[in-house]
Amino acid sequence: MITITRAPPFATIQDLGRPGFRDAGVPPSGLADRESGILLNSLLGNDPNAAMIEWAVAGGALRFDDACTVAIGGAEAECFVEGRPMPAFTRIPVRAGTELTVTRLIRDRYLLLAVRGGIDVPVVLGSRSTLLSAALGGFEGRRLRTGDTLPIGEATRDGDPPALPARHAPYTGTIAVRRGPQASLFGDAAWTAFTSAEFTVARASDRTGYRLEGERIAHAGNGTLPSEPTCIGAIQVPEGGEPIVLMNDGPTIGGYPKIAVIRSAWISRFAQLVPGASVRFVLDEESGR
Amino acid sequence: MVQAAARGIRELKLPWITDVVPSYTTLAVYFDSSTAAFESVVEQVAPILSASEAREEAGTSLIEIPVFYDGPDLPEVAERTGLSVEEVIRKHLARDYYAYATGFQPGFAYLAELDPALVLPRRAEPRLRVPAGSVAIAASQTAVYPLQTPGGWHLIGETPLRMFDVHRTPPSLIRPGDTVRFVRARR
Repeated sequence: MITITRAPPFATIQDLGRPGFRDAGVPPSGLADRESGILLNSLLGNDPNAAMIEWAVAGGALRFDDACTVAIGGAEAECFVEGRPMPAFTRIPVRAGTELTVTRLIRDRYLLLAVRGGIDVPVVLGSRSTLLSAALGGFEGRRLRTGDTLPIGEATRDGDPPALPARHAPYTGTIAVRRGPQASLFGDAAWTAFTSAEFTVARASDRTGYRLEGERIAHAGNGTLPSEPTCIGAIQVPEGGEPIVLMNDGPTIGGYPKIAVIRSAWISRFAQLVPGASVRFVLDEESGR
Repeated sequence: MVQAAARGIRELKLPWITDVVPSYTTLAVYFDSSTAAFESVVEQVAPILSASEAREEAGTSLIEIPVFYDGPDLPEVAERTGLSVEEVIRKHLARDYYAYATGFQPGFAYLAELDPALVLPRRAEPRLRVPAGSVAIAASQTAVYPLQTPGGWHLIGETPLRMFDVHRTPPSLIRPGDTVRFVRARR
């Protein structure tokens, strides 16, 4: 069991998400940085879909009530166990009663804390992921609070040897996209602006979507597009022209024209951008992810 | 055609297709790109799309929803449409609605087409808290709010039914393609 001894400002339980219910209006949810999550589970010998804590803002502490093996990854953070700094993507055995604290996020947005056996909260609609807007999944459908106790599941195999995540290649500020379903509503000038602008991730960004500032994109749409299904990484442009990138908990349908869609291999990297971070988009229509 | 194609694709039961989502004029097929290539999904799905073009939109089920017509916006809706409260209720009850799409929140189905006499723009000031079960209208559509949420539609009634329940299969009472009939209930 894990006990939250000092609530993090914003942390939820997530796994690889809840596919299969989009036609009921349920977004896929799941880890924003799923690539780091898969890697941590592999390292710990967990099922790739085992649930973990997604820690979005620094601060907070928890206690491991039983001896277990843990690993962190995703954002670079000042994270301590028994007062010692904790390296990322490394299996750390901890004794019962050990405390873990997160004092600062140094780079990126989501710190992932995984435990061998996974966090064993109830499965809701096929997933342990938290969907705050509908108060479902995760730990009672909400953010973690002081005093919450999280059960740990059983691990069934040994962990894989540590591997350095490929995505730890330094972020160069560029994210690859494909043309979106309404790409043709955007003229040459709009496309030039979209692919040459340096956008800034706005403060008003969360698990439902990231707003981008810095350049307004004009489009020929008149706001009458019938609502249509969306996807993670879809870049929609409302009338005001400031793009919004839909994220894991975003609406399942929407009526804003989508100029482009982030390629799936780049979603985890994009999701880790903090408010204030810069981003440019480059068109890449090659096949594959 | 959209709903028929969605059904056809679901009936293929391809393991790598995770979601099939119909809406007004668009159908989205979501697949696991780690087990299937885009080209092979297109190959499997394209024949269904062309075969569905001629197929009729038969609703999957008829859902009856009991409504207490005593919503807080009912007097204002009557005033703005120039109808009496009773006429607003009768017009809302008079037709069956088609569920074009689900979205906005789990279990929220967009139902149309509303009687033209009831068409009003959304409220200028959305409510911060619309209670679960609220029956509402906006523009040419009507809907039931499944969960408490902020919302800008006009609230004309309330249903005691649970529109969304994670312990039910499927969890959403209304699915795209269903036909919805409102029935008057008394408190």
